[in-house]
Amino acid sequence: MNAHPQYAEALALYAMGTLDNPDGLVALEAHLGTCGDCRRELEALRADVALLALSATGPQPPARSRQRLLSAISAEPRLERRSPQRYTVGRLRPRWFTFAPVMVMLLLAVFSILLWRDVRNSRRELRRMHAQMDQMQAELEQKNRELAEAKMVRDLLHAPDAKQMVLVTRKTPAQPQMKMIYSPQKGCLLLMASNTPALPEDKIYELWLLPADGSAPMAAGWFKPDGKGNGMIFHKLKTAGIEAKGFAVTVEPASGSQSPTTPIVMEPAG
Amino acid sequence: MLLSGTQAPNHKDDAALIAGIRAGDQSAMADLYDRYASVVYGVSLRVLANTTAAEDVVQEVFLQLWRNPQAFDADRGRLAPWLAVIARNRAIDLLRKRPLEDNIDEMPIATGVNLEDEAAQKLAVEKVRGVLVQLPQDQRKALEMAFFEGMTHTEIAGKTGEPLGTVKTRIRSGLLALRKVFA
Repeated sequence: MNAHPQYAEALALYAMGTLDNPDGLVALEAHLGTCGDCRRELEALRADVALLALSATGPQPPARSRQRLLSAISAEPRLERRSPQRYTVGRLRPRWFTFAPVMVMLLLAVFSILLWRDVRNSRRELRRMHAQMDQMQAELEQKNRELAEAKMVRDLLHAPDAKQMVLVTRKTPAQPQMKMIYSPQKGCLLLMASNTPALPEDKIYELWLLPADGSAPMAAGWFKPDGKGNGMIFHKLKTAGIEAKGFAVTVEPASGSQSPTTPIVMEPAG
Repeated sequence: MLLSGTQAPNHKDDAALIAGIRAGDQSAMADLYDRYASVVYGVSLRVLANTTAAEDVVQEVFLQLWRNPQAFDADRGRLAPWLAVIARNRAIDLLRKRPLEDNIDEMPIATGVNLEDEAAQKLAVEKVRGVLVQLPQDQRKALEMAFFEGMTHTEIAGKTGEPLGTVKTRIRSGLLALRKVFA
């Protein structure tokens, strides 16, 4: 195939009539207008599609179907073809009389062409609109699915009976672990801790954001683990857009600290 | 793989039948129906899975051909694949509740495959079915959803959970696999 590879898949969908991207459809049709290789590939793909259609060849329809068709065509009036009219040799008509029918036919032909183009464009527009509607419908369904999934995740996180657990290989002692998500653009972070060692009553685990510009660590929330070593921080920074080069967790007094006062106990892996 | 081969007997018969229909010969229409009704009905039934609706498509396709036999150009392709594609498109329009157009103006189709008589046509159909059976299940499913259910690649991706690009690739390479077996 010498067709342009960037159109290869769109051509296959176009040959089936299932290309649902209106912009892509317009671009492809414009390209087909100028590219003979792609037109030939489209013809070949249409032939492939026809083979696929032929594979569904089945039984003869019921006999009533044949009778129904034959009755219908019997009832259809056929346009009779007129034999060419003979003119008397040697009898000249006035010039205007000879040309008038020709002019009328020419005008009719021009009118027919214009009408045909109009109908063709309308059909093309209709097909494009159908494709657009199908695409919008598909996108809506996709969004609905995503929304439903997001709601399920939210409900799970807030479920009163939700249990957090970490699955590890068998016989591995439970290790302290903190999972974190940070979005500089939103200025939000979420930390979920498990198996963290218990702390004295007057101590907490405090999270620090280490700015990429080298400025001082910023307090980013704290937690005190429950009886099973689990804890969670959801923290919104005062300003968004702060890039972080790292994070660290230290043990601090229960009142919190302005800057880390003890060695780091947890930091990102790697 | 466009055909430039011999003028086969059946091909001539097709042209003769179309010429008869153009002249208003109802027996030519009956012969043509007897020869190709199973193609049109089979495709329609596969798409619609409803015998009454499939019969309606059969009626409509043949009636349109009776009204407008000029739509088929015997010099540019064969009747069987042409009718099969028209039947599929009409059935999909019906399935997806799209408005039906008044006439048939489908493109001519030159398959390059020997369909010159009933035996050759049966052989070709069996060959295509054989290729389809051997395709990986995901690929066959994507191809069938697109062709026999008229689903767009976006809809297929939404239904199967596969990435859009994967669906598009599967559809195209499925078609190419059909072409390859007749190359």
